[in-house]
Amino acid sequence: MQRPFHGLNQIGAFKVMTNPNSPEDPRVAVESARKAFEQEFERFVRLTDASALALSLADAETEQRALADLRTRHMGKKSALAACKKLIGKVAPDERAAFGQLVQRAEAEITERVTTADETLNSLLQSARRERDRIDVTLPGRRPRQGHIHPITKLRERIEDIFVSLGYAIEDDREIETDFYNFDALNIPANHPARAPQDTFYTTEGFALRSQTSTVQIHAMQRRGVPLRMIAPGRVFRRDTPDPTHNPMFFQVEGLCVDRGITMAHLKGTVAEFLRRMFGAQTVTRFRPSYFPFTEPSAEFDFSCFKCGGSGCRICKQSGWIELGGSGMVHPNVLRIAGVDPEIYSGFAFGLGIDRMCALMYGLDDIRLLFENDIRFLEQFD
Amino acid sequence: MLISYNWLRELTGTKLTPLELRERLTMVGLAIDSVDENEGDSLLDVEVPSNRPDCLSHVGIAREVAVIEKSKVQSPKSKVPKTQGKASDFAAVEIEDPYLCSRYAARIVRGVKIGPSPDWLAKRLNEIGQRPINNVADITNYVLHELGQPLHAFDLTKLNGQKIIVRRARAGEKLQTLDGVDRVLDNEMLVIADAERPVALAGIMGGLDSEISTSTVDVLIESAYFDPDSIRRTARKLGMDTEASKRFERGADCENVVNAQARCVELICEIAGGIASEDVIDVYPRPLTARSITFRPERVESLTSLRVDVAEMDRILVALGFVEGAAAKDTKTFVVPSWRVDVSLEEDLVEEIARHVGYEHIGSELPPSAMAGEYQPAELKRRKIRRALTSLGFDEAINLSFIDPAHDEVFALAATNQLATQSSFVTLSNPILEDVTRMRPSLLPGLLQSLRHNFNQGTRDVRLFEIGRVFAGPDGDELPHESESLALILSGGASEQDRAQASRELDFYDLTGALQAAISALNLPPLVFAEAEVKHLRAGQSANISLADGTVIGSAGTLSETISAGYKFRQRVYVAELDLTAVFEIAEHEIKYTPLPRYPSVVRDVTLLVGRNVAFTELVGAIESEEIDDYQRVKLVGTYEGQNIPAQKRSVTLRVEYRSDQRTLRDEEVEERHRRLLDSLLKKFSAVLH
Repeated sequence: MQRPFHGLNQIGAFKVMTNPNSPEDPRVAVESARKAFEQEFERFVRLTDASALALSLADAETEQRALADLRTRHMGKKSALAACKKLIGKVAPDERAAFGQLVQRAEAEITERVTTADETLNSLLQSARRERDRIDVTLPGRRPRQGHIHPITKLRERIEDIFVSLGYAIEDDREIETDFYNFDALNIPANHPARAPQDTFYTTEGFALRSQTSTVQIHAMQRRGVPLRMIAPGRVFRRDTPDPTHNPMFFQVEGLCVDRGITMAHLKGTVAEFLRRMFGAQTVTRFRPSYFPFTEPSAEFDFSCFKCGGSGCRICKQSGWIELGGSGMVHPNVLRIAGVDPEIYSGFAFGLGIDRMCALMYGLDDIRLLFENDIRFLEQFD
Repeated sequence: MLISYNWLRELTGTKLTPLELRERLTMVGLAIDSVDENEGDSLLDVEVPSNRPDCLSHVGIAREVAVIEKSKVQSPKSKVPKTQGKASDFAAVEIEDPYLCSRYAARIVRGVKIGPSPDWLAKRLNEIGQRPINNVADITNYVLHELGQPLHAFDLTKLNGQKIIVRRARAGEKLQTLDGVDRVLDNEMLVIADAERPVALAGIMGGLDSEISTSTVDVLIESAYFDPDSIRRTARKLGMDTEASKRFERGADCENVVNAQARCVELICEIAGGIASEDVIDVYPRPLTARSITFRPERVESLTSLRVDVAEMDRILVALGFVEGAAAKDTKTFVVPSWRVDVSLEEDLVEEIARHVGYEHIGSELPPSAMAGEYQPAELKRRKIRRALTSLGFDEAINLSFIDPAHDEVFALAATNQLATQSSFVTLSNPILEDVTRMRPSLLPGLLQSLRHNFNQGTRDVRLFEIGRVFAGPDGDELPHESESLALILSGGASEQDRAQASRELDFYDLTGALQAAISALNLPPLVFAEAEVKHLRAGQSANISLADGTVIGSAGTLSETISAGYKFRQRVYVAELDLTAVFEIAEHEIKYTPLPRYPSVVRDVTLLVGRNVAFTELVGAIESEEIDDYQRVKLVGTYEGQNIPAQKRSVTLRVEYRSDQRTLRDEEVEERHRRLLDSLLKKFSAVLH
């Protein structure tokens, strides 16, 4: 909207040194400066209504440059207005104040109009630039697909980390073993069903595929002597036909701690600590008597169901407990075979299936998936 | 094994509810899988540990309950039968092999009336999953579940010569067992025979011929003790698993033979009528000698940390049937009851005490810290390889260690690999999966199978790696060789996370790049690839992998067309395998700081047109061997062949860097050096500038 410019008639009442109609009258100079501005500013008048504008970014930038140019010409040091200001000193003292105000008003008018136009242009430019620069910040970030570590390896590494922090050494040994390490040294009697070819794989030369990593315990005791703290994670083999809960090969971790004065309390404390770190601080562990040839006394351990917290659910078969592994005090025969005197040393051992733990932890209903290596399965474990 | 709560209550007068029993029995080592309500009774499914055959009966469980409740087992009562005549007047027993049968007791009941069992008996058997047959057979079965002693009833008149001979079967001898199956026997198997032929498979199942039938009048009740190993072997060999074999193969109670028989005979007379023989033919050539164990009470605390009063220890052991013998200073002696075949050591007594005091009363503490933890050195290296490969988009695979021998000789093994020098494969004598008999000598067959699986599931972009053991056998008595291998397989496109389309197709250089990444993660010098023929790889796109010292440790390349076609792969597949054991043996190179350059370097690009048979590494080798002053390094910019390039030629663009450590090189100095380098290259490779 165009605002009315103050007419010269408003100052007509003032006395001036010269004839008001004479071109020498300084008021005429102010008036002509004003007029000249008004004429040139005409093209920017429409800018005052920002909403009506549909200038392109390039046009707006041209306009802004033109406006800057206009400002210099009408408000700069060499402008007509600047010349008028210089006249103020030359006007008769009694009229000087009035004239000064006239010039100031004219300047204020011009300044205001230019500034308003400039602001309008600026905001127009800003929004046009934002439109030009806008990207979709929600598109997926650029990142090559990451691979995944197998869930069994993940768990195995976690188990290793926990036990290393508890002062255990990680050990491993052969996967194909003699009967001595796989059975005899573990106090498994010669007639034990586990030795039968129905349960244990044998090579044509009669060597056994280790059916538990306890074999490593014997090697480690022989290699390192006692005191000893070690865990043996690794592949083991049992002749089970694959089904949702069995594979003929699986991963196990066995632990062994032999020293003077080791008791079942240490076994309980260690397994409980491990399970708390594995399944969370609220995990409760329960030990109950059981039987294994290589431990005496023997215990199976269960942990409070991580799903229901012990109140009973499908996962824990309503018992509140989940069976996890076997353990016990190392059988004196096992210690003796490994060259350790059971009258001086005692020790505990425990073992559990990593695959089973994996199935529990991730709610796996068919462990055959573990060895199919389906990408859609593997990429679920980050 | 199913245990009836009501039956158990008759034997113990237990005040515990079924659910309380579940908890208490579980905590003494008899885990109860489930408790099911059944018509006013509860059935406890007890998981009896394999060393506790004494618990495979109601009385066995009752003994444990009595210790828990500090009560006594009430022996089942039955009426005293009418008796007449000596057993030996009606039959004779002979044991030919006392090592396989150390006791055999026979008793006769004459004039029985065979018919269905009374309701209470049939119901009880039904409840615990046993099918009632007829009164006499059911009673033997009932006593088995009550007292744990397997019994067998023969129709006396069907025993030729009224004679029982316990002997090994003759090779090829036949017997039709109660289940109607004709069994061919061998001389490892123990049978019960009459004067002419086998009439029962000792300790496993009776024969059909001498079975109790409705016409049976006189019966011979067998109660015996058979050698556990013999029963187990025979049962396994014949694929049989019966209520009787289950108990004999774990160890029956030698001293319970006559008692159980008496109970059985009493019930027969009560239910089926008849007159029992006054006595028993009890042939017991090798009587059991009771074991006695020296026991130091302080061992309980030193093994379990439990502090238990000696009086409480005695109470538990005595309640379990142990008999206290002579005591000395600090030691006691206990005689093991005949039914506890599992107890022979002091530690076993410690366990008996600990489980009845309760494992829940054992404290829980970490052992005093004494040692520093340590990883296996190789494990940390494996971890680095895994991280390097997963960050390049490879998923970790785990395959079974056994493969089909059809893969034999299809894959080349790394030459350093001990395995490659072995002629023989490791073979399983008893595979579980048909045709999967080889312990894998290479990881590639497994990965190819995984790849095929993924293709079949519609996944096209696949990158997998596996770290695992491979096997090869020395012939003879030595253990097979085991070594560790790393294998990679890739096919399809380089997929981007969260994007539908792969950014580009994967190729050979993704394979070699990944291998270098894995090696450099170990801080080892780069691998060297050289064109070589490898039998499972496509000619012209196959390379040997060697270490800096020239040892060949594996191969990498495009899978051969033949193998690819065999798997019906429709896109190119790249595979590599290397001997990780060899890699783990190389020493890491030491990291030493090099001062940063003080003067700027100048680079010059050059594009050479060379024969396609000139390898990049040859060019680099030639450049390095020139020993041009101030030469720093050369890097590949790119290669090009095709349009505007003559056939059999390839253009290679290299960027050579020059820098002096003393001053800034002048342009003309660089020019002169570069000229010299080019001249020699052009000459050496008959190349032209492009």
